[in-house]
Order: sequence, then C-alpha cells, then structure tokens
Amino acid sequence: MKVHVKNWHAIAQWRWDTGAADADDDGEGDVCGICRVPYEGCCPSCKMPGDDCPLIWGECSHVFHMHCLLQWIGTSSSKQQCPMDRRPWVTAERKVDRTNNAR
Amino acid sequence: MSTNCRRRLIRDFKRLSTDPPGGISGSPCPDNIMLWNAVIFGPADTPFEDGTFKLLLTFDESYPNKPPTVKFLSRMFHPNVYANGELCLDILQNRWSPTYDVAAILTSIQSLLHDPNPNSPANAEAAQLYRENMKEYVRRVRATVEESWLDPEEQQAINEAESEDAEPGASG
Repeated sequence: MKVHVKNWHAIAQWRWDTGAADADDDGEGDVCGICRVPYEGCCPSCKMPGDDCPLIWGECSHVFHMHCLLQWIGTSSSKQQCPMDRRPWVTAERKVDRTNNAR
Repeated sequence: MSTNCRRRLIRDFKRLSTDPPGGISGSPCPDNIMLWNAVIFGPADTPFEDGTFKLLLTFDESYPNKPPTVKFLSRMFHPNVYANGELCLDILQNRWSPTYDVAAILTSIQSLLHDPNPNSPANAEAAQLYRENMKEYVRRVRATVEESWLDPEEQQAINEAESEDAEPGASG
C-alpha cells in the first residue's frame, strides 16, 4: 500500500520550567500568584505569552510573571519583599536542572 | 474597559463561586465590578455565631497592588472595628500582599471576629470589655448579631424610631 500525505499540521506545546516538582494541572500551583493567570498565559498588560512576557524567579523559589512582580516591587508598600513570604526579593538566576527536579 | 484590575476581579469572583470558603460570600454589584457586597457568617462557638454581617469592598485601579477599602455595613461591636464600620486589620494596611484575593480578605476578617487583637483597638469600649468583662462583651456582641438579621430598611426604621423616641424624652 502506498500512502500519500496530502497535508499535515504540526502542533507543539510549551511550558515554562518553573522548577516545581510537579507542574501538572493541580490548580493553584501553576498560576502567577499576583494576577492568577497561568504562567503560560501572559500578565494582564501583555497580549502575547512567551518571551515577551517572561517569568521571574526569586531566590526564595517563588515565581511570578516578571511584569506583575516588577509592578509590585515598584510600589512603596511592597518594601521590596516577595509577595508570598515577605523575604527581601532577590532575583535568582534561573536554575535549569532538568535531571533532578525533586524539590 | 477591561483593565488589569477588572480582569483580576473577575478571576477572584470565579474562584469565590467555584471554591467558596465556608462562612463567607461575596459578589460584585451587577453594574460595577469595582464595588462588592459581601457577607460574613459569624463563626461557630464565638459570640458572633449566627450573625450575618454585611460588608462593602471598594476597589480601585491599583488592585491587587493596593488593598481595597473594606467597611462593615452591619453595626459591629468588636475591638478592631470603628464605629463607622471601617476595620483595623494589618493585611488591609501595611501587611497587604498582591497575592491576596477577595476570598483571602474575607477569610481573614472572619478569623478576626473570633480572634480580636486588643492591642490595636478601634473600639476602646469593646476592647476593654473583651479584656475585663467577657459576659458584658458577649451581651453587646449578641445584640449586633440579632440586628444583623434585619434588612437595611428595617434597621433604618428602628434607628429612626429610636431617635424620635429620644428627642421628646430629652426635653421632658
């Protein structure tokens, strides 16, 4: 039998590597804590998700949309603290650790 | 018209309606999403038990980077609630975080009811009774619980009747 492929659609899926142990759809875990939009969506000020609306990692291990976090850090009431744990916000180098995500 | 704040409030409302924490309810006014009516049911095993306390939450465009203004519409007798219904609660002032949503705010106020903070009194009399005369404190709180069941109109009628009674009494 000979098969001729007439056309095909390629579909790809992407997701941010947030370093969470299990980034499956378990509700709260995969949304930005500030705007409550999924990490893979974009912050309310952006129209396109992806590199134009990246995530930001704190050394405290909390992750937000960069724009959401910067807007909060820009207010005086933030006292430059992480919105989750009130520790001083320190932006972390993104830890790419594909082999061992067990945290 | 769909601003960041409004989008977030729609998400807050979805969360509140799909996964409502016990003893609280809230929804935006039909014609203004920046204005929310909420009810907190008095927690069991506290003097506030069975009360249905109404609140008004007013948001502005800076939400969630700034907290909303929260005010009790029902008359309250509580160490941390002012006579005008405004309340003294750290997370609504200097310990606000943009990760809080309407559900979190209402749950915090609910726990403030049974766990007052007498160190920052907004109602000095309530704070004093809470510390020194629990029986009288409970009696005063129970009166507000019964008032909380009335419609606003009924409440207003009672207030007016009381003030009419008081006027001739004062001169006679």
